[in-house]
Amino acid sequence: MNHAITALNALLPLLYLATVAAYARAFFSASPVAKTAKTPLLIAALSVHLTYLLARTVFLGHPPITSLPEILSVIAFSISLAYFLLEYWTKVKGTGCFILGLPLLFQLASSLLIVNRTDVDPVLKSRLLGIHVSGALLGYAALAIAAVYGFLYLMLYHEIKSSRLGVVYERLPSLEVLERLSFISTATGFFFLTVAIAVGMAWLARAFPGHSYVDPKLIGTALIWLVYGAGLGLREAAGWYGKKFAVLSILGFALALLSMTVINLFFRGFHNFS
Amino acid sequence: MDLLCVGLNHRTAPVDVREKLCFSREELREALPALRSGAFSECVLVSTCNRTEAYAVSPSGEPRPERLRDFLVDFKGARQAARPGHFYALRSGEAAKHLFELASGLDSMVLGDVQILGQVKDAFSLAAELSTSGLLLNRLFQTAFHVGKRSRAETGIGEGAVSVSFAAAELAAKIFERLDQKRVLLIGAGETGELTGRHLAGRGVRDLLITNRTRGKAEEVAGKLGGTAVDFDALHTHLRRADIVISSVSAPDYVLRAEDVRRAMGERERDRGPLFLIDIGVPRNIDPLADEVGNVFLHDIDALQRIVDQNLDKRTREAAKVRTIVEEELAAFTRWHLSLAAGPTIRELTELFEEIRRSEVEKHAGRFGERDRELLDVVTRRVLGRILHAPITGLKNGGNGTDEETLAKISAVRTLFGLDRGGER
Repeated sequence: MNHAITALNALLPLLYLATVAAYARAFFSASPVAKTAKTPLLIAALSVHLTYLLARTVFLGHPPITSLPEILSVIAFSISLAYFLLEYWTKVKGTGCFILGLPLLFQLASSLLIVNRTDVDPVLKSRLLGIHVSGALLGYAALAIAAVYGFLYLMLYHEIKSSRLGVVYERLPSLEVLERLSFISTATGFFFLTVAIAVGMAWLARAFPGHSYVDPKLIGTALIWLVYGAGLGLREAAGWYGKKFAVLSILGFALALLSMTVINLFFRGFHNFS
Repeated sequence: MDLLCVGLNHRTAPVDVREKLCFSREELREALPALRSGAFSECVLVSTCNRTEAYAVSPSGEPRPERLRDFLVDFKGARQAARPGHFYALRSGEAAKHLFELASGLDSMVLGDVQILGQVKDAFSLAAELSTSGLLLNRLFQTAFHVGKRSRAETGIGEGAVSVSFAAAELAAKIFERLDQKRVLLIGAGETGELTGRHLAGRGVRDLLITNRTRGKAEEVAGKLGGTAVDFDALHTHLRRADIVISSVSAPDYVLRAEDVRRAMGERERDRGPLFLIDIGVPRNIDPLADEVGNVFLHDIDALQRIVDQNLDKRTREAAKVRTIVEEELAAFTRWHLSLAAGPTIRELTELFEEIRRSEVEKHAGRFGERDRELLDVVTRRVLGRILHAPITGLKNGGNGTDEETLAKISAVRTLFGLDRGGER
């Protein structure tokens, strides 16, 4: 069975590459072939990816959340799935190439680094932990998508304000649509992040009784949660709509990336899975 | 037989001459049969506000463009205004090329203008209805429509807004998700402002409010555009409820100050969507600082003109591609036109039959003895000669390939025996 897993592991980056290429060709050169092929390609990549993750869980005896490469693969899957759902619900199909580059990168890194191991710390084989990690990953995936739409919003905003209209203007949907996509993604991400934090706290209390809550990753996550919460609140209460919200979705995600990198590099808290 | 095009357009004649030579639909109904019963076997008249052109086929002898020109001038009684210098006269390939350029938008006042193709289609269908167009002009105009269609489909010659009002309407569609939920406030009665309002109404906005210092004018415009006239004094109340504001007032001071816009954005009742301000007034009606207010998009006439200029640049770059299409279609049309002469048709027909005869004889030669083979050759040749005798004489006796009847015969022979398909192979 390990051979099948290894084969799927090699196939996945190629599938994502084909998908991104189709989305990019559809956006930049309006190729009709790419336009019809792009969504089926994405569905194919998602199906193979799901099979791969399930196969890992069943045959290696643990959910694929015990090492950094495994987590990266799940992040790639979460972003693709979140984008697919967004495309399905909103019928906005033009912007995939900007989003799907992320899963391609993550999956590529994962495929290169991953090891098929069956022996993992028993503390990581918990259902609560599974929910916690899934929630966090889905949350960050949605926030990543929100940041990309925030970025696209700013690009189109700049073109319209300066009256210099290029390919971005021609192919992107309207500002209102981009803003709405960014908002939906942010709200979804915030929801999953909240679930992840709540479940994580519960699991922590059970798995490590008496653990200190002054963990760098906990503090970082709380900070990110507060920033997004404040942004969503200000949008409702003080009209932080449009450009301000787009900037928030980008800064929030930059903060998340920064906090993860810095904390993983300089601190050795319990979130270290190696 | 030759094709002729005589006409004047916005490049060769001033508007006061052009309007004197503009044909109404009723006049066209009268003019077309009159022209055809004269010296021309086929004719189509294209008349728009920018041009009047006559396409005609003169059946025999030297084509006389001045007769076509005199007809146009005399029919409209425009001897006083129109001078020969206002007209251009084109023949054969040049005339065909001109029509193709016209249909593709290359010859329009605004490069790539989409209206012209529809106008050419109307002109042709009227001529077809009155049976003044025939074999040659039918093929010419069908090819022209094909040129127009290809230009739109294969190049960007018709893309991007090329008027200030249209550019504003397109921008609105890039800012808002759906215009059918949006309320437009039109201030003043300037022509461009009204046109912008019309474009937006055409895109299905929810509401169109019109206000003016003179109430009567507002009502007049409201009647024309299907909107509602509102009091100028209540401008600020309406500003709060508007999503798009078009202003074209001639006033020395700002009609909307940045402060007004800021306050309106703060007091908006409905959702907090963007506010799109279109300032077409000169001097400007809206304080440019209003653009700094969050979620406000202000475009003045210069900004809109910049968009128009960029789009015109893009169209100019596309024109080369359109010229290639024109050349391709012109070559195909010329091939077809030349093939209509009796000589080549007779030659091609004979070659076709001879080829069939030869291949059949070769295929079956093995069944015959040496002597019989020679006989077979002679006999089949004779049979062929007798079969082709009548059609060839018919084609030859049709004269020099000048009259409609001969052309129809040649065309029928070519279609029946698939000569054009063979030529392309």
